[in-house]
Amino acid sequence: MASNTPDSERLKTWSFDAFVVGISVAGNGRTFGVALGDGTVRIVDAEAPEPAPITVHNGACLSFAPDATPDAFLSGGDDGKLVRINANGELTTLAETKGKWVEQVTAHAGANVRVYAIGKDAYVLDVKGKKEPRKISHPTTVGGLAINAKGKRLAASHYNGVSLWWLATQDSKPQELDWKGSHLAVTWSPDGDYLITEMQENALHGWRMSDGQHMRMSGYGAKVRSMSFSRRGVVLATGGADTVICWPFSGGGPMGKAPLEFGSGPMNVSDGSPVTAVSCNPKRDVIAAGFANGALVLGNPGVRSVAISGARKAPVTAMAWNAAGDRLLVGDEAGEVVLVDFRE
Amino acid sequence: MSDTRQVPVTVLTGFLGAGKTTLLNRVLTENHGKKYAVIVNEFGEIGIDNDLVVGADEEVFEMNNGCICCTVRGDLIRILGALMKRRDKFDGILVETTGLADPSPVAQTFFTDDDVRKKTMLDAIVTVVDAKHVEQRLADTETADDQIAFADVILLNKTDLVSKEDLVRVEKRLRGLNPFATICHTQRSDIALDKILDRGAFDLNRVLALDPDFLKDEHHHHHHDHDHVHDEHCGHDHGHDHHADHHNDELTHDEDIKSISVSTDKPLDQAKFEAWINDVLMTYGQQILRTKGILNMAGAKDRYVFQAVHMVSDAGLAGAWPSKDNRRSRLVFIGRDLDKALLERGFLASVA
Repeated sequence: MASNTPDSERLKTWSFDAFVVGISVAGNGRTFGVALGDGTVRIVDAEAPEPAPITVHNGACLSFAPDATPDAFLSGGDDGKLVRINANGELTTLAETKGKWVEQVTAHAGANVRVYAIGKDAYVLDVKGKKEPRKISHPTTVGGLAINAKGKRLAASHYNGVSLWWLATQDSKPQELDWKGSHLAVTWSPDGDYLITEMQENALHGWRMSDGQHMRMSGYGAKVRSMSFSRRGVVLATGGADTVICWPFSGGGPMGKAPLEFGSGPMNVSDGSPVTAVSCNPKRDVIAAGFANGALVLGNPGVRSVAISGARKAPVTAMAWNAAGDRLLVGDEAGEVVLVDFRE
Repeated sequence: MSDTRQVPVTVLTGFLGAGKTTLLNRVLTENHGKKYAVIVNEFGEIGIDNDLVVGADEEVFEMNNGCICCTVRGDLIRILGALMKRRDKFDGILVETTGLADPSPVAQTFFTDDDVRKKTMLDAIVTVVDAKHVEQRLADTETADDQIAFADVILLNKTDLVSKEDLVRVEKRLRGLNPFATICHTQRSDIALDKILDRGAFDLNRVLALDPDFLKDEHHHHHHDHDHVHDEHCGHDHGHDHHADHHNDELTHDEDIKSISVSTDKPLDQAKFEAWINDVLMTYGQQILRTKGILNMAGAKDRYVFQAVHMVSDAGLAGAWPSKDNRRSRLVFIGRDLDKALLERGFLASVA
């Protein structure tokens, strides 16, 4: 199945023939998991043979994340199941709600929790199974979940804002961050000082945690769809424009500053197509980006960027780096998955 | 998997008990060779264990600071997005709305959200109407009017429960609210599914095919403009008079929905027309539910087709005129509290 493309021995391509819903790297830092629209997951590991389909859901995978344990992933499906998949392809069904969709999932190793959302409700599961599952409710459907780096706070985005919950205590009421509109994916800056949401509109919204200061980041031609903080939180790289828009987060946040950009120009890979996936390298100042036309670039604002691939057949939907930052896995709507190997 | 065709979506409206669920069950069980994903508001009502049936919460969202035409169904955007991840598993999507829902946010979702617009296509709004109770519904609530006014196809259901005279009166009433819908008489929602699915009602190229009467002489539509049926309950008290069974005189009440048709035999100036219609929709888009027109533009060989849902419009040339000699331009508005004289004046001012 795997084939080396003629133009580069560093690229390995698979055709999984289903929409790539998510790509994650397990806590061990090296095992990739690919969740697909046909309900299967593929494990891609440097030491493993060809990735075989593992049937996880009767339906589609809707949400995918690294598990709190080091060698596993979490997948939520439209069969109402939350399933743990380990690197050997063994499955454990952690929760099942018939007739519902598990649309959001996240986990944190340090806090020993797994969190998933069904509609307006999110459920916090204790990895050790000592505590009862905790249900937390929101005014409207949860659009995104994110736990901060320290593993203390859970952010759940929804219509008109974000609810912040403490994971250690059983607080009955969350702290609410309000902003009119529908908030989808949510992410914390690495230091936990900022919280950013992708909105239904072509914009991001952010809050500075110290004082609740609002940040409106707009000007996109399309939905943002993907955002990634750089390793030290210096910039937030985002999709939604025909170049990679990078908001500066050093020194008080992006307020009043123009964003930096890269990824178009001489290579002409984007042909006006918006960026649909971004991922910052965990070790170097390099950002990978994929476009709606399937093109892939690597770069950083202010330095010359390079094209990994020109236009391909389908929009890029997901990408992730391994922890060493020398392997990048990319997936698209047509189910093509590309492994880019930067190792010597 | 690299299928890039837009998935057709049929929206099913109608009051509780009109026969929506019966119709849905038929679509899901009948052997018609196609698979439909179904988005329902009451999960329990569908007695079928089908992994393509999805429950929805009807979350109506305002986008872009509450602009009325940007009121959308957030849950629908999410669900449609997720369904697109297994696009190859079905041929079309059906969306059931609750009986109490205003159809505008559902319809607008398909024109406002970029992703939804790219991947799916609103195929038709089908409204199921209970022939026996619809007049009461129209008397009780504005939503019933909205659902009929928005429809591309009206299933006039349970016709076996009413007399012939009642049926004629009811149909006339529906026709008065909505001159462009196809009205089908049914019992127990029994209808050939090709009458409701894959209609292309929002496809400019197919607007004409769907409305065989649309271009006919205006006599066809006269009956609702001059509706002389009288009864003692007509008047301004509707909504309170719960034993009022007859409400034929829709023109006596400003709050009621009515349709206004304007037409001319003279060719129109396209730039003038577009400037005028944009202005009309910007100003009155909230009270105009739907607009459709087939127009003769000066210098254009083909028919110019116009349609709008509230303020969101679409227009273009769509095929040759059926006969060279009959190139009558006609534009129909369905809405509340519309000023016919004003609309007619503006329309005629667009004559080339």
